[in-house]
Amino acid sequence: MGAVFDSLSELSQKLASREVSSLELVGAALARADATQSTLHAFVGLRPANARAEAEQSDARRRRGEPRSPLDGIPIAIKDNMVQTGEPTTCASRILEGFVSPYTATAVARLEHAGAVVIGRTNMDEFAMGSSTEHSSSGPTRNPWRLASTPGGSSGGSAAAVAAGIVPAALGSDTGGSIRQPASFCGVVGIKPTYGRVSRWGLVAFASSLDQIGVFTRSARDAASLLERISGHDPSDSTSIPEPAPELASALDGDVSGLVVGLPRECFVAEGVDPGVLAAVEGAVAELERAGAKVREVSLPHTRHAIATYYLIATAEASSNLARYDGVRYGRRASGARNLTEMYERTRSEGFGEEVKRRILLGTYVLSAGYYDAYYRKAQQVRTLLRGDFERAFGACDVIVTPTCPEVAFDLGAKTSDPLAMYLSDIYTVSANLAGIPGLSIPCGLVRGLPVGLQLLGPALGEAVLLRMADAFERRTPHQARRPEGFP
Amino acid sequence: MSAPAHPRFEVVIGLEVHTQLRTESKLFSPAPVSYGLPPNHSVHPICLALPGVLPTLNARAVELAIRAALATHCKVHPRSIFARKNYFYPDLPKGYQISQYEDPIATGGWIEVALEEGGEARTKRVGLTRIHMEEDAGKSIHDAAATGDSSQIDLNRAGVPLLEIVSEPDLRSPAEAAAYLRTLRQILRYIEVSDADLEKGHFRCDANVSLRRPGQSALGTRTELKNLNSFRFVEMALEAEIERQAGVLERGGRVQQATMAFDPNTRRTRVLRLKENADDYRYFPDPDLIPLMLSEQQIDRVRASLPELAEQKCARFVREFGLSEYDARQLTASRAFADFFEQAAAAHGTPKTVANWMLRDLREALSARECEIDATPVSAASFAALLGLVDSGRLTAKSARELVGVLVADGGSPEELMRARGLEAVADTGVLEAAVAAVISENAENAERYRSGDEKILNFLMGQVMRRTGGKASPAAVRELLSRKLAGKPS
Amino acid sequence: MARITRDEVEKVAALARLSLGDEAAERMASELDQILEYAWSLSQVDTSDVEPTAHAIPLPTPLREDRAAPPLDPELAVANAPEREGSAFVVPKVIEGDEEG
Ligand SMILES: [Mg+2]
Ligand SMILES: [Zn+2]
Repeated sequence: MGAVFDSLSELSQKLASREVSSLELVGAALARADATQSTLHAFVGLRPANARAEAEQSDARRRRGEPRSPLDGIPIAIKDNMVQTGEPTTCASRILEGFVSPYTATAVARLEHAGAVVIGRTNMDEFAMGSSTEHSSSGPTRNPWRLASTPGGSSGGSAAAVAAGIVPAALGSDTGGSIRQPASFCGVVGIKPTYGRVSRWGLVAFASSLDQIGVFTRSARDAASLLERISGHDPSDSTSIPEPAPELASALDGDVSGLVVGLPRECFVAEGVDPGVLAAVEGAVAELERAGAKVREVSLPHTRHAIATYYLIATAEASSNLARYDGVRYGRRASGARNLTEMYERTRSEGFGEEVKRRILLGTYVLSAGYYDAYYRKAQQVRTLLRGDFERAFGACDVIVTPTCPEVAFDLGAKTSDPLAMYLSDIYTVSANLAGIPGLSIPCGLVRGLPVGLQLLGPALGEAVLLRMADAFERRTPHQARRPEGFP
Repeated sequence: MSAPAHPRFEVVIGLEVHTQLRTESKLFSPAPVSYGLPPNHSVHPICLALPGVLPTLNARAVELAIRAALATHCKVHPRSIFARKNYFYPDLPKGYQISQYEDPIATGGWIEVALEEGGEARTKRVGLTRIHMEEDAGKSIHDAAATGDSSQIDLNRAGVPLLEIVSEPDLRSPAEAAAYLRTLRQILRYIEVSDADLEKGHFRCDANVSLRRPGQSALGTRTELKNLNSFRFVEMALEAEIERQAGVLERGGRVQQATMAFDPNTRRTRVLRLKENADDYRYFPDPDLIPLMLSEQQIDRVRASLPELAEQKCARFVREFGLSEYDARQLTASRAFADFFEQAAAAHGTPKTVANWMLRDLREALSARECEIDATPVSAASFAALLGLVDSGRLTAKSARELVGVLVADGGSPEELMRARGLEAVADTGVLEAAVAAVISENAENAERYRSGDEKILNFLMGQVMRRTGGKASPAAVRELLSRKLAGKPS
Repeated sequence: MARITRDEVEKVAALARLSLGDEAAERMASELDQILEYAWSLSQVDTSDVEPTAHAIPLPTPLREDRAAPPLDPELAVANAPEREGSAFVVPKVIEGDEEG
């Protein structure tokens, strides 16, 4: 029987040696998801029957000696904003109640093709708008490390499911930190690849120029092998990079000697950073130095405008992306409207939660006549300057290191009444989305019993170097092996 | 200077044409472009704006847009951008239309429009402001009887590629506007960019119209007439709107900026909505699409594939075949008609004869059947063969005219048709001589009048001979024989 | 900077087809105002001659070959419809003039 916290490669080996069957692994994952649902609430929906049927097919392939890939038969979870044929997708929103997709997202299809078994859809902030997984129509997800804390967000359900040992890996999406911040809060590895690395076909759009699918795992090596599977050009996504999937796992040689780590001075003097978080990150940098990396200071002067830039661009795009939820073709329509306008307004007002409405209003405002230049166009220009900052910095270093978040997991409810405070918790993560570059979070310590995330940022298409450094760091430190208590 | 459209005002008209590009699949979706299917039978998840779908740009649509731009002397831009035009309407599934806004694919062209006034022909160069690509919306069906208090939505048309062609406000009368539209449609059909089928809504027009006092340089406040889908409608609607605006101005009022609808029954325009609270479409570049970058070579490749345009063809017909300007223009009105002419002229050998037969008899036969030349079974080769029978005297012009109708309707070989219908000219001299002798003896009095110098009587006698031969005799042969016999010469 | 007023919030809400109650409109106005005040910090950045970035990763224009794929099964196309009639979606009556200009 597979152990709860086995890695992908361990599970793969156990499947190959028939020590365990896919049906057993999938059954155990479903059982653990069920057992933790009342405490963690990591899932919006499970697909027990289909997952078991797929597991049996996988076992049959193994018996015939025809596994599709090392992932064949391994249970995984996907965020509730990726569509799968015949399955519901709700984005944790009332407005998508009842929607069943007639098609499958490319990233999910690639996992299916590799034989992985999707056990269910994980909880999230509605339409991926949030940093705590509290803005969900089905209620908040809790942090496996401390149930009174949020798991971060918006991919909080995926992070919690991996941290709690329900699945070895899960897909998430990251628009401004929605993979890295929950990975940090839940003490797992989370990577947001270069924009365009993983197809967005079938990923429900929040902010199209920033959204990117990525993975949650419990090790850098697992992240590498999963990311390899879902990456690569997809003609259905015009913003997909026309490059084949990179070889990632083979790059993990544990050697970081000679790599230059850049420390942006702006990130280490920022106000409001938890001193415990800073200490953990500084400890991690010292460890990388001991491993042979060189450390130098770099400057990203425009990152102090990143949050403002991000929220203007993301909400503008979102206001347009969410216009399709109108109660005409799918989803939930408000009843009793007397005319079309009333139908629209009631459907959307009842269907969307507060945070989504707030962002639609903000985005509509910044695109509207008279404000476009001052807000939207200005933000796009600052985005150019920010990209320039990173280009210059990566001229002088291979990887940029920062805290993933200025803090450890905060309490449920702590920020729901202060939207701006919630937005500011994305301070270290949004820049990577604005610049389109890859970013990764790995555990680098505990503060008051809660995990701290170390963020590694790389140049465009630089996933391999991030994973190599993360893997080397894991080999030298105990952080990645720590598990939340109460989830044996 | 043409006759003014209004005695006291100068009329200023600009037109926006939406024409459907001739593609197999939609602009941003692989769903087929279809017509006449039941609702939602030609859609893809992209056309339904399902969660998670993304647009991909149709290469052929881009090529056709470049074609149209080059054929209308526009500048094709190396970089153009697709933007989102945001508004809510149930036939607009995404809540936005993908359209080119600030950076269209082409700007600044013109077309030469032939005008005719009081029998006088002239041409006018009409400027084109811009050409851009965009997707069509679906259809709302508001049949009250069928749907009561609701409307039905069909998204088959949603996402079909359109070209929007915006003219400069260069047009000065409803007649000029209609002539511009006819010419533009002809160009688009010539270069096979669009079928521009009016019935199927492939070619739709919005008109902006304003009035100003002669000599005034600033434009007056304009109104927009929406969805004029026939050329006659455009003229009628513009005439009505010009009358309305003139009335307002003459009463000392002000024209309000508005979108107008034309009611063909009352022949009046009415306000659909005022533009006071201007729509706020919140245009911004579509983040799902990369800017459209076109290299000089890509544009040149399209240029090289452009067929000869009507204007060029017309000039060549005058030059090569010695046709009149007028005839050449008629022959080149459609590409199929012009191609037919060239093929028939080559097969027959005398272009002028072919032109005459085409412009009179063939055109008559086509308009009687209300069809275009390429929709009929008649081939250029058989048409040329038919004229060859006339040349050789085996078929009279009258019989040939009859056969033109038959060819247009059913096709076939002129030779066989002639025989099957017993139309072959009477070439048998015995038969003809007998007929002439009979006519002379039955009309002895008239024959005498001819011999005594009344030559006009010959026509009457000829008619008698023709009647006896059932019109199958060659008039030239009859005339020759008749005058010889009357003169008493031996045969 | 321009402060966002409750009036403007309501105008924007109408554009976005959202109806806010009195209380929500007040609250949104004050929250949005706070966020926009924060965002206004961008006005300090000198962006003269700076091109806007719409796409972070420069890519060539992808073009799709014009080949029609089989359409979606019409039954699936309308399977999610809140209201349908045959294969058509049904909405409350569209009033003339509501249309796009
Ligand atoms: Mg227009
Ligand atoms: Zn248009």
